[in-house]
Amino acid sequence: MALISTRSIGQLLQSQGRFFPAQVVRLAQTASAPQQENEQRLKKFSVYRWNPEKPGDKPCMQTYDVDLNSCGPMVLDALVKIKNEMDPTLTFRRSCREGICGSCAMNINGTNTLACISRIDTSQNKATKIYPLPHMYVIKDLVPDMNNFYAQYKSIQPYLQRKEEIKYGEQQFLQSIEDRDKLDGLYECILCACCSTSCPSYWWNGDKYLGPAVLMQAYRWMIDSRDELQAERLSQLQDKFSVYRCHTIMNCTRTCPKGLNPGKAIAEIKKLLSSSKKTAAAASA
Amino acid sequence: MTHHFIKPGQRPVLATTIHTTHENNAPGSGLLASTHWNAERLVSVGLIGIIPAAFCIQHPAMDYALAASLVIHGHWGIEQVVTDYVHGETLPKVANAALFAFSALTFAGLSYFNYNDVGLTKAVLMLWSSST
Repeated sequence: MALISTRSIGQLLQSQGRFFPAQVVRLAQTASAPQQENEQRLKKFSVYRWNPEKPGDKPCMQTYDVDLNSCGPMVLDALVKIKNEMDPTLTFRRSCREGICGSCAMNINGTNTLACISRIDTSQNKATKIYPLPHMYVIKDLVPDMNNFYAQYKSIQPYLQRKEEIKYGEQQFLQSIEDRDKLDGLYECILCACCSTSCPSYWWNGDKYLGPAVLMQAYRWMIDSRDELQAERLSQLQDKFSVYRCHTIMNCTRTCPKGLNPGKAIAEIKKLLSSSKKTAAAASA
Repeated sequence: MTHHFIKPGQRPVLATTIHTTHENNAPGSGLLASTHWNAERLVSVGLIGIIPAAFCIQHPAMDYALAASLVIHGHWGIEQVVTDYVHGETLPKVANAALFAFSALTFAGLSYFNYNDVGLTKAVLMLWSSST
C-alpha cells in the first residue's frame, strides 16, 4: 500500500483503466530504477552565484540537491527545476531547450556546452559544477555579457555584399550545388560563444582578437559564391590581433556543441590571407 | 545602436565597453600581418632543411645561415608570446625593445663565435664527440 500511495493518482487511474494489475505496471514503469520508488535520487548541483544588486557581494558556489527521479535528463531541466521549486532568484538564459538557440551556453563540469543538450551525469557521489562562460563579464549568476561578442560579430559584416547596387526583389542570386556545399559546416553555427570563450587567446585578448565563432562566420561570408567583397573582408583582418592570435589550440573545435570546426575555418582564413597580398593592398589603399 | 526595451532617458548598464577589432588596430606601418606570418612559416620550414644541411656541408656560410635563422625564429616566437601576454600602452613597446636587443645581441655573439672560433656546427660536433 505504501508503494501505491507514493505514486501519482494519474498513474494509478491509468493502470486501473487498462485493467492491468497495479504491481506489473509499477515494475514496467520503474525498470530503470528498481527498488527505489520511495527513495529520492538526490544529485548535487554546485552553481556559480553572483548578485550585482547586493553591494559588495562576492561570487560564490551554491549547492542544490535535485531529485533525479522527478527531473528531466538534461542539465537545463535541473536548472529549471531548481528555479521553479527551490530558488527563484537563480538566473540563467534559456529559450529553445533543444540546442538551436544557443542561449543556455555555460560551463558544465569544466566544459563549455549548451545546458539543454548536455545530459546530467547521474553518478550521485559527485556534484555537477556549473559556471558561466569562462572569462566573460558576468551580469548575474550564469548570465554573461555578450555585447563585445556581438559587436565583434557585427564588425565582420555578416551579410551578403555585392559590388553593384542591388535592386531588391528583381532577381535571385543563384548558386551552384557545389558552391552551396561549401557553406555546410559553417552556416550551422548558432553563435552560442562556447568556442570563443574556451579559447585562451580569446581570454587574454578578447578585446582585439575576434575569436573562433566570429572568425568562422567571417570565413563563411568570404567563401560565399554570391558575395563579392572577399578581398575587403580579408584586408579588414590584416593586423596581428584579429586572426593571428589564433595559435591552433583547437579548444574551439573540441568544445563546439554543434560539432563544427572553427579551428579549420581560421586555418582557411590564414591560407586565404597568405595568398592575398595584392588584393589586400589594393583594398586598403 | 537601438535599445527598444529600455525606457527613454535611461542608459543601459553594460559591464564592458563595446569595441570592435579592426578600428582598434588599424594597420600600422611595416609588414602586412599576413606577410609576417608567411615569413614565420618560411623560416620554420626552412630550419628543417638548414639544420641538417649545416652539419652535412660544414661551411662558414652555413654557420652564419644557421645562426641567423635560429635567432630570427626564436625572436618571432617570443614576439608572439609578448603580443599575447604583455598588455597596455607602453609595456609592450618596452618588452619588444628588450626582446629586439636580446636577439640582436644573440646574433652578434653567434657571429663573433663563427668568425673568431670554430663556428657553430663544429662546436656542436665537438660537444658531441667529447662526451665519449
